[in-house]
Order: sequence, then structure tokens, then C-alpha cells
Amino acid sequence: MILRRLRVSAELAWRILIHEKGRTALALAGVFIAILLVFIELGFFVAVPQGGMLVYDHMRFDLLLTSTDYQFQAQPWQFARDRLTRAASVAGVAKATPLYFAGGSWQDPGGGVKLDVFLLGFDPAARPFAVAELENQRNMLEQPGTILVDDTTRTIFGPLQAGREIQIDGRRMTIGGAYHLGTGFLGIGVAAMDEANFFRVTGRRADAVNLGLIELAPGADSGIVAAALRQALPGDVEIFTRQTLAAQEDSYWTTRTSVGLIFGSGLIVALIVGLMVLYQTLATQIARHLPQFATLKAIGYTDGHLTAVVLVEAVIVVGVAFLPAAAAAMGVYALIRSETLLPVVLTPSHVAAVLAATLLMSVGSAFLSLGSVRRADPADVF
Amino acid sequence: MAALDLSLRLVPGATVPLAWRNLVADKWRLLRSSAGIAFAVLLMLVQLGFERAFFDASLAAVRQLDGDLFVMNASKYRFGARDPFAHRELGAIRAVSGVASAAPLYADWQDFFWTSPIDGKPHLVRIFAVDPDQPPVFLLSGIADQQSLLKAEGAVLVDRRSRRFLGMDGATAAKLNGQNVRVAGNFALGPDFMSDGTVITSDREFARLTPGNRGSAAALPIEAAVAKVRPGETIAAVQQRLSAALPSSLMVMTKPEIVEFERKFQAQLSSAAPIFFLGTLVGFAVGILISYQIIYTDLSDRLPQYATLKGIGYRNSYLVRSVLAQAALTGVAGYVPAWLLSLAVYRIIRSVALLPLHMTPQLTAISFALTLGMCLLAGALAIRRVIAADPAEIF
Repeated sequence: MILRRLRVSAELAWRILIHEKGRTALALAGVFIAILLVFIELGFFVAVPQGGMLVYDHMRFDLLLTSTDYQFQAQPWQFARDRLTRAASVAGVAKATPLYFAGGSWQDPGGGVKLDVFLLGFDPAARPFAVAELENQRNMLEQPGTILVDDTTRTIFGPLQAGREIQIDGRRMTIGGAYHLGTGFLGIGVAAMDEANFFRVTGRRADAVNLGLIELAPGADSGIVAAALRQALPGDVEIFTRQTLAAQEDSYWTTRTSVGLIFGSGLIVALIVGLMVLYQTLATQIARHLPQFATLKAIGYTDGHLTAVVLVEAVIVVGVAFLPAAAAAMGVYALIRSETLLPVVLTPSHVAAVLAATLLMSVGSAFLSLGSVRRADPADVF
Repeated sequence: MAALDLSLRLVPGATVPLAWRNLVADKWRLLRSSAGIAFAVLLMLVQLGFERAFFDASLAAVRQLDGDLFVMNASKYRFGARDPFAHRELGAIRAVSGVASAAPLYADWQDFFWTSPIDGKPHLVRIFAVDPDQPPVFLLSGIADQQSLLKAEGAVLVDRRSRRFLGMDGATAAKLNGQNVRVAGNFALGPDFMSDGTVITSDREFARLTPGNRGSAAALPIEAAVAKVRPGETIAAVQQRLSAALPSSLMVMTKPEIVEFERKFQAQLSSAAPIFFLGTLVGFAVGILISYQIIYTDLSDRLPQYATLKGIGYRNSYLVRSVLAQAALTGVAGYVPAWLLSLAVYRIIRSVALLPLHMTPQLTAISFALTLGMCLLAGALAIRRVIAADPAEIF
């Protein structure tokens, strides 16, 4: 019975939609742009923590050992290397690799501006990065005075071709090649080098480690090993699982920086505007058909019937507009990626979230616009 | 209909009354349409405001510098990157004729950590250091007038508009690079996109707190020399003399030049401009669509009336003007509430994100022009319906 009624309502909604094609196209365009707007602002909003996670996403580790003062990736503080040595002996730990970070000053030997460059120091044999060009250029990394440069390092740094000599903190270095990872939010330029080169350039000692990458033995449970590590190590270090690390970076970028707040408020405004567009579109559609709705009521259709018609209409419009909007969003994301180097990526969960939000919004605006249908009195309308 | 007739009878040939009567004929519809347009306008205002706020925040520190001429290392690519020059150059700068004073500004953006009384953790902060016996380097009240407080040992001035997790507002004592400091006063500068908070110290304190520094304040390298020109001298002439007297490794900038230097860096290397441009563009597109829907619906409903007007001899040009006038009025009806609402939204974002988000005449003018543009464009697109209206077919 209910199914039959729903089918009748659906058919009616469909007829209304195909009856006036120009008008329906207009409604679809409105809903399309509302969904696209939500996608774009959501893209910016998630791009910020995604940018913060970019470099972690290309590192090999199951658990991350940091100082308890750890803030976010580019400000990890440091801890004693001895903690890492002790961690390596904890059951379930297969490998514990130190990673060193530093800020440097990059200048062409011929002079010119001194640019801030972010320096990564590591032992290439430990393979901390899952980045092809860092692994297959290992022999290049091991040469004294040689660095590899991230290929998204900004053009102001000049050409990044192999063989070019540059100065880092006044020391002559040679670019051995480039690698493709992305600078994330580490800075406008990133250079990777092996430990020996890193210590020589920065004057740092091996003892002060910035990040400890811990890989587990096959079959080991990250939660259990994390607990064992906390037990075995002094209280001056923190153990992150991949999940808690993602939560930490996410909360840092979305709540502690104005970037997160800007895109967060952009997203909220986008949702409100989206809701308004949907409401506007549906209310216009319904207002157009008020006489017909009144007629239906006069011949015995209940308010429930008409509600179903309007809801089905709303869902159809959203359903049809959603796919092209998602496709257009991908195009816009590609544009944003190339124009801004923000790693905007559409994940299935984002798509689902936008779909759910727009459906919710359209059902909400359908209910809002239903008031006039409920009040529709056959006697008044004509 | 009655309203329409009346307006025609009262002011024959006038288009605005017709447009106006059409606009206000249905109060509910007007409310709905102005709400739709208002939100599109609000979206544009927020995006335009963010872009402005981004640059205002990034430029706040250099705009507060109190000097006619600034000497910095020529290898500096932005103001906010450490690249100091030798202290002895200060003497050479002061020796140039026309220079009334030259005060040293020391700065660091990477090596100073403020232990927040809130979470007890060290956080990176921006530090500026001045010689308290020299003329003020910053215009900002709270710095310029409290500079003498910095003479006391361990005294610092802090930014009360720093990010809250730093706990600078209301702090009386804290740790900077692990050493105890006393908060002698505060000022209101606000964070930018690189620094969460700002601390100001004396040169002596800066030398004491700089990690690994063993030199005295008198030997500290200088980030920028802030010079004032003697009365009666032109800034450009002194700038030329300074450039000629100093080694080519140093550059001399006027105040507008140093602000432009930093603005150019931000425009070139940050993604702010394209991001907010895209946001504004989307707001504009949404606005066109909403206003097109509004105008199209309105025109469709009044098609018989328009056809009648044509039937009794009104020309298309009159109807076009009337439709465009109505489109413009719809835009204004949406713009005014959006503008008012944006003041509240700006205020909220200002206090939550500590961004210098303010309504300015320029923002008002740009957003109003965009609003009129989108409504007129939508009106022009929808108008074909009226032109095509044939009195004989409508009835």
C-alpha cells in the first residue's frame, strides 16, 4: 500500500519535472552550482590538514616517536636518540629510524636572495620515504655535498636541474636530482639529504632526533606495541599511531591556524548558501504548481501524498545534479592543485558526505517550501 | 495588477515605478529573492574580505614600522625571514648626511619559543628587539610608549592579540627559550600566517635569549635599520645618498617600498589570491543563477501583463529598461541585508580567527559592483522572454 502510494507520488513528481523542461533545467543548474560550491569549500577545508599530512603519507612507519612537546610536523621539537635505540629493542618493533629536520638558507653562489629551505636528513639505507625518486637515487644521496630537491619547490629557487651548485647556510652543495613528493606545509622549498650531509650543513649532532619512525614486525599489533613502548621509554617522548597522528595534525591545522578557520567558515557559508539555493529552487518549483497541487487535494489526495511528491521531486533533482557537480568539482580540484599546490583530493567519504549533506538540505528545504502546499486551498487558488 | 496600473497612471513613461511596483507586489517573494541574493553576496563579501585580511595580516608588522628609510640585506626575499647584516653598518648609516636617526631592529622568526602558561609547551613565536635608548621603531601604541620598560632585566612586551593557546593575554611571567621573563606590558598587533604571537624585547635581552649566542648586544647583527630623515631633507635624496654610501649587499627602501616588497612576496608565493578569487567567482556564479531564477520566474508570471503593455503600444526598449531596473533593485534588496550581515560575520571571524577582517569603502564598492553586475547579467539573459512575448499568443 505504502509502496504503491510512493510509486504514484514518484510518477507524479517525474511528470512535473519533465513537463516544463526549461524550468527543470534551471532548477538542476541551481542545485548543481549549490553542490559544486559545497564541494569547492569542502575541498579547501580538507586540503589544509591533507597538506599537513602529505609528507607523513609518504613515510614508512607504523608508530611515530616524538618529543612530548611535539606541535605539528614542521615543529616536532626533538628527543634523545637513545630513546630510539631503546625502542628498537621492544618486542614487536622491527625497525626504528631517526629523521632529522632543520631550516636552512638557500642562495645561489652568484648571490641573490637567501631563501628559507626546509631540510630533511635521513639514512637512505633505512628507506624512510616511500618516494620512488628518493629510493632509486640513493647512490646520489650518499655522495658528499649532494642533495635531492622536491620538484614542487617554488620557481623563485631557480632551476632544479642536476649538477647545479647552490649554497645552503653558506656551504656549497650540488643538486643531484629532484624527487616528487610535495612540500606540504614544510615551506616553499624542501631539500633531502643523507645524515652525513645534513650534520655537516646544519652543524647538528646525531643525538637530537626530530622524528622516530617505528616499523612493526609482521603480525605485531600497533596498539599493544605502542603501550609497550610507553612503558619502556621515559616520559619525555610521545608515541603516535597513524590514527592519533592524523587526529593531532588535523586538530592543529583546523583549530590552531587561521587557514583552518578561514576555510572552516568558508564551508559554513557555503552550506548556508547551498541551502538557500536549494530552497529557492524548490520553492519556485512548488509555487509554480500550486494550482495543480490544490486540484489534487480537491480530488482527494492527502497532504501526505503531496509531501511525498515534493520530497521525491527534491531527491530526483539532487540526484541528477549531483554527478555532474561531482565531476565538475574534480575539474576544479585539478585546477586548484595546479594553481595553488594545495593537495586537494576527493575521497569517497567526502563525496558521500556532500551527497548526504545535500540530500539532507534538499529534504529540509522541501519541508520548508511545503507550507504553501499544505495551505493550498482549491477554492483559493483559482 | 492594481499596483502596476496605478504606477503607470501616475507616472507614465517612467520605468522605475513599474520596476519598483513589480518588486514589492509580492512581499513574500521579495523576501525570498532578496534572501537568495543576499547569501550569494555574503559569500562574495566573505571571500573578498578574507583576501584583504590575508594581506592585511601579513603586512601588519611592516606597516607598523616607524621610519622614513629602511636598510636591510639585499639578499632578503621577504621581511619575515632572518637575514641580518653586521652591526658596524649602523655607524655608516648614521654618518650619511640627512639621516636624523637610525635605530636597529633585531628580529627572529625561527628560534624563539614561548612556553605557554596554558599547556606548558614551548611554541614558536616571532620576536622583535629594539634598543630602548633609540627612537621607537614601531608606530604601534603599547610598543612606542612602553619601550623604556624594556630597560629592566628580563622584561618583555607581548602581543595581547596573539593566538590564545600562547596565553600571552593576561600573562605576567613566562619562559622564553627556557629562561624566565617578566611581562612588562602589552600591545595589539595580531598574528599573521607564519607567527602565532609576537614578543618584543630589548637588544640586551635578545642577545641573552638567542640560542648559542655568546656575543654582546653591541655586536648583534641587525635585521633592519630604521632611519628617520632630518626635517627639510627629501626622503628620496637621502635614500640615494644612503645607497651610494653603503655596500651593494645592502638595500635601502622607503616605507611604501618595504610594504610593497612584502606584499609582492605574499602575492607571488602564497596561494591566497587564487583561492579567494575562486571563492568570489563561485559566489558570483551562484548569484547569477539565483537572480536569473528570480527574474525568470517573475517575468514568466507577469508575461500576460508585459504582453498587454506591448499590445497597447509600449516599446521593447521600455520593457527592457523596466526589467533591468527591476533586476538592479532586486540586487540592491539583496545587497543591503548581506552587507549588514557581513559586518556581524566579519566580527565573529575577527574574534575567532584573529584576522583583521574589516569592512572598507573599497570592499563595499567592489562587492556592490559585482552584485549589480550579476543581477543585470541575469536580467539581460532572462529578458528574451519579454521581448518574445506576443500579445496575441498569451491570451
